[in-house]
Amino acid sequence: MRFVALLRKELRESLPWLLLAGLLLLAVGTLALRAHVPNTGVRYWQYRRGMAPGETIDTWRLLSPAKLDLPALWLSFIAPGLGLVLGVRHFWVPLFTRTWAFLLHRSVSRLTILGAKLGAMVLAFVLSVGIIWTGLYWYACRPGLFPIAEPVYVLVNGWFYIVMGMVVYLGTALSALSTTRWYTSRIFGLVFALLATLMLLSLWRPVWLLAMTALVLAMLLAQTTSAFLSREF
Amino acid sequence: MAEIVLETKGLTKYYGAQPALDHLDLRIPRGCICGFLGRNGAGKTTAIKMMLGLLEPTAGSASLLGCDSTDLTPAIRQRIGYVTEGHRLFRWMTIARLEKFQQAFFPEQWDEKFFADMIEYFELSKKQKIKHLSNGQRAQVSLALALAPNPELLIMDDPTLGLDAVIRRQFLEGMIELITRQGRTVLFSSHILADVERVADRIVVIDKGVLRADCSLEQFRASVRKVVLYFDDSVPADVELEGLLHCRRSERQLELTLVGVDEAEVAAWAKRAGTERYDFVEMNLEDQFIEFTAPPHRRRLFQWEEARP
Amino acid sequence: MGAMALWMQISSGSETPIYLQLVEQISSAIAKGELRTGDKLPAVRVLAAELVINPNTVARAYTILEQSGLVTTKTGSGTYVSDPKLRHADAAEINLLAERMDTLITRAVNLGLDRGALTALFEKRLERFAGRLDKGKAENG
Repeated sequence: MRFVALLRKELRESLPWLLLAGLLLLAVGTLALRAHVPNTGVRYWQYRRGMAPGETIDTWRLLSPAKLDLPALWLSFIAPGLGLVLGVRHFWVPLFTRTWAFLLHRSVSRLTILGAKLGAMVLAFVLSVGIIWTGLYWYACRPGLFPIAEPVYVLVNGWFYIVMGMVVYLGTALSALSTTRWYTSRIFGLVFALLATLMLLSLWRPVWLLAMTALVLAMLLAQTTSAFLSREF
Repeated sequence: MAEIVLETKGLTKYYGAQPALDHLDLRIPRGCICGFLGRNGAGKTTAIKMMLGLLEPTAGSASLLGCDSTDLTPAIRQRIGYVTEGHRLFRWMTIARLEKFQQAFFPEQWDEKFFADMIEYFELSKKQKIKHLSNGQRAQVSLALALAPNPELLIMDDPTLGLDAVIRRQFLEGMIELITRQGRTVLFSSHILADVERVADRIVVIDKGVLRADCSLEQFRASVRKVVLYFDDSVPADVELEGLLHCRRSERQLELTLVGVDEAEVAAWAKRAGTERYDFVEMNLEDQFIEFTAPPHRRRLFQWEEARP
Repeated sequence: MGAMALWMQISSGSETPIYLQLVEQISSAIAKGELRTGDKLPAVRVLAAELVINPNTVARAYTILEQSGLVTTKTGSGTYVSDPKLRHADAAEINLLAERMDTLITRAVNLGLDRGALTALFEKRLERFAGRLDKGKAENG
């Protein structure tokens, strides 16, 4: 009940950004899928209209299979961007609006308050870019629509960007919660998130990638939790 | 002896090398309205934030309803109302949504009718958004939110700062309303001495982080006094009276501000100093507060300087 | 007795503490006959809420009034204006009154009033309380 109230509040505060990110990805994805510009330069509707009677879709097999390349590129910016914005909204804005005191005097533990913020963040990612990315992938793989199904790694790759968004969120939270100066350790959270993202992007062995991602997330989570629990407001 | 609902023991907070609060010892019993006074920057907000576990004490401890402030359990918080400085609420929420949010944390004790009545009394509508309210209206919402769960202990950080007389009076009414219910306790900090005088039965005065007074309002009113002594020729150079706060002198008059000195002592000293003529000057609470907390006047702030020859 | 508080005027920021303002106003109402023997004073909580002052302040004023014999408290029932015959003006009270008169006389002297003018003024003001004073005399006599 109390957790739900907190979660609702955090989600509602994330809503505009969640919608913005989701709609942006949806727009880019739709454009890419519907108005796909293949190597031949033939547009999707031309391709449909231009099919001669009796011609099969196999004729067009030579069209580029990577229909989600462009949306994936966008997602690699949208997801960290959403992480940054949500981190600012959840941990920074209350410092300016001075609502921390009101929020923290709830009949719940501080951990619950943090949990609600993190929960809202994960939900925000899943409900916007997560669902839409999966939807785009599913759409692109529908049999009969496109010549070649997208490989699964395209889907996984998108979700990897989403997890990177969460890394950026935690880094932003850490910087927001720091009480030191910018030019000393306050910048650390953001820098760490950025470097970690770049490092992870450069890994290509799945096992390493998985292990390092888990490590980075665990480190950031532990730091953020301890900073939140001990911070003075 | 009533149960102690708010206690601090040597509560201290340093920012760098500066003490914002220095060894505050307080014991507030159940059932009183305690006015927490001090000039700007005296350490009131720091003390209140430590009581509510928002700041970590550098030394000492605070406890509310018997629970240490650094570790207030949800069950204890549920019995405490806190009105934050400046009545900062979530700006995007409507009053109705904020009510629902607040209610979720006081599930058993939320008085829906009381809240609705207050909102109506304040001529607000639950559909209004916080960001569209004036400062005063936001303060009213904040008061209603704090009172509707019927808290056992209500702590308010300068709730009437910058508010007009009507809304200030509503806060006082709210406090009286709460205190007339059995076993409620209020601690509020304020700059407005007249408000404090009306509703407080106990006052705590801190100055530069140091506790200066903790007594009943009547005791404070009776103990800070000003007396003017008239002398025939010259005013004595030294005043040997314990409890002397300030001393101003003119050619044949001596004005003393005293704390905790009774009339007999004044009379005895006056006789030794060579006069029997003296008058006590009545002071209101504000004057008493200023005399009590103002630094000793070595020189006037505004002094006409005669051109020196 | 809800109307009782209507004529009470508490001013905060005054030199006179609030409990004394209450004591003075209730005493004066009794002296002027606005409150009569047997009248019930409002309950402490009611008066506190109405005047927006601390209930303990009201209770303190009632205690002082009771000590000076102006009112009596019946347990579980309330506070009532007491019978003048039962009131006792003790020496200390009278002393206090005399001291207050000194202040007034000082002012009169400074204003340049002579004995006659001051007595005339005093008599004139006494008229306001005529009912109570004469009744008191009749009862005592």
